[in-house]
Amino acid sequence: MNIFTRGIRNAFRNTIRTFSIVVILGLSLGLALTMLIAHQAVGQKIKSVEGSVGNTVTIDPAGERGFSGGGNPLTTAEINKVASLAHVSSIDETLSDRLTTSNTNLQSSITAGSLGRRFAANSGETFTPPTGSTFGGSFTTNFTPPVTVYGTNDPTLLSSAQGGGTFSLNSGKVFASNSSADVALVGSALASKNNLKVGSTFTAYGTTITVVGIYSTGNTFSNSQLLLPLATEQTLSSQSGDITEAIVNVDSLINVPAVTTAVQNLLGTSVADVTNASAQAQTTVAPLKNIQTISVYSLVGAVIAGSVIILLTMVMIVRERRREIGVTKAIGATNIGVMAQFMVEAVTLTLLGAVIGIIIGFIAGNPITKLLVNNSTNTTTSANFGSAATTVRVGGGGGRGLFGGFHSSLSSIHADIGWSIIGYGLIAALIVAIVGSAIASIVISKIRPAEVMRVE
Amino acid sequence: MIKISNLTKNFKSGDINVRAVNDVSFSVPTGKFVSVVGRSGSGKSTLLSLLGALDKPTSGSIEIEGTDITKLSDHELIKYRGQAIGFVFQNYNLVPNLTALENVMLPMEYAKVPKDERITRAKLLLEQVGLTEEKHTRKPGRLSGGEQQRVAIARALANKPKLILADEPTGNLDYQTGKMVFDLLHNLSKVEKTTIIVVTHDLEIAGKTSQTFKLIDGKLEK
Repeated sequence: MNIFTRGIRNAFRNTIRTFSIVVILGLSLGLALTMLIAHQAVGQKIKSVEGSVGNTVTIDPAGERGFSGGGNPLTTAEINKVASLAHVSSIDETLSDRLTTSNTNLQSSITAGSLGRRFAANSGETFTPPTGSTFGGSFTTNFTPPVTVYGTNDPTLLSSAQGGGTFSLNSGKVFASNSSADVALVGSALASKNNLKVGSTFTAYGTTITVVGIYSTGNTFSNSQLLLPLATEQTLSSQSGDITEAIVNVDSLINVPAVTTAVQNLLGTSVADVTNASAQAQTTVAPLKNIQTISVYSLVGAVIAGSVIILLTMVMIVRERRREIGVTKAIGATNIGVMAQFMVEAVTLTLLGAVIGIIIGFIAGNPITKLLVNNSTNTTTSANFGSAATTVRVGGGGGRGLFGGFHSSLSSIHADIGWSIIGYGLIAALIVAIVGSAIASIVISKIRPAEVMRVE
Repeated sequence: MIKISNLTKNFKSGDINVRAVNDVSFSVPTGKFVSVVGRSGSGKSTLLSLLGALDKPTSGSIEIEGTDITKLSDHELIKYRGQAIGFVFQNYNLVPNLTALENVMLPMEYAKVPKDERITRAKLLLEQVGLTEEKHTRKPGRLSGGEQQRVAIARALANKPKLILADEPTGNLDYQTGKMVFDLLHNLSKVEKTTIIVVTHDLEIAGKTSQTFKLIDGKLEK
């Protein structure tokens, strides 16, 4: 038997005490790991949100968002001026419109439902279709949602106004950005509703359009849309040179605020509303950053608590075995040898605690992270944005509100315990054991066999 | 030969200087079985600590088989103590979660004796002290006082020490068991040719040793 074996055996000398210490340490390390899991998951989510925002500036006609509000469309000439501004890399332009039974043979794949009917009823009297659109008539309570169509020079980019999501081509191909052909990319839900496949045709604006691709995005709203080349949509809808949204790609995230200001100054507030999602995203992820901070404090606190637990335990054990330590020293044990044996004992206890902690982290990591995120984002969203987070554009057109998009993204956070977390847990256990054994080691080094003899 | 010359040990107890051992000199020939007697507080245990290299004297020297242990460094003392001196305590002081065999093997492990050799010698020693094989794997809690003291004696002999120091070895035992343990120590001193110094209150036991030293207030009675 050597120091290692004796240390391990000593850890189980008092079963009840060992069990108690291991459980308490397990809870402490479990909390630490749960906080670490939350920290990592939240960190990834923040990165994801910030990454999804990207370095873009959005230009909308003044007073208009999607199919809400009013005002006049932007023009290609105005957007071309923006393109010449410093730090502007490229601009994705969009012209949006809605097709009804009067100008298409397509049927919307979205059921109106009570929401759609309410939106239509609420805005039917005052709603005016975009200039030049062949769409006409007024909404009624029997409202059938129109088919939303976007003319775009980058069909793979789905802005928040388009419902967001990640563009994924199911079949066919993507049309060229400068195409003016009568072709379309059809959302998977819309294609399914109208039995469209690649090569199928349908009618819009009195023109036969050929389906070149079917796409999906992960959400029903985007999957129910139609994408046409920008030039085609401008021509067919008689909106030549009109733009309803432009996404300006800036060369660097740091230049986004400056470009935002420059664009706003260039176009004027009466022409365009210029926004960037960066600041809004920062506001939205602020509660996540708070959780990160809280999780770090909790993590450090839990590790310190674990260290204190093992420290007090080891000091208590050393004091209890004072005579035994004296005897082993008297028969030839060195200070380092005795310290090492107690260190092994402390490491054994903390590793057992770490195993329990890892199990706790595995079970509680995800629910606790979700609980923290949900509580924090609900409170903050409500406080910061009021009802903005739940704003939906009239008639279902124009997609979800920006904050709503981020907020639902935050709620979908998922925390997993990976090998790195397990590794950190074991490292934390070793740190706890070493820190916790430090004072015990000092006590051990000061025990002289002669003192034990005098006690005898 | 063990030669103690002008051995003095002072302690500070609060503001008072206490001279626990006062200019003690004596010698013990190799292989002898001697006793140190004295009343409580007379300095017996302090003298035993000094002889066992567990503490350093204020002045004087202790020569064990030609080595002045008062001149050894701390590291050398640990090594010397482990290999040249065996201890037997009144309360046995066995490690409670080790078996009898493991307790006897412990000093040999500290002295870096190979494992096979440790096992063989530990078994031999336990047999010599009369502990049957079935009890070799028992922990101290499952041995009687007399059996525990036998294990303690076997442990003291593990590294073939030149000197065994026994502090009231029969103090916690009944008369018959105490006598048995004493006889065991006596025989071992003859067989192993080991010098044994016993500290005891028991004058009957002291009377059976080859020489008795009496301490009064730290001084050796002439």
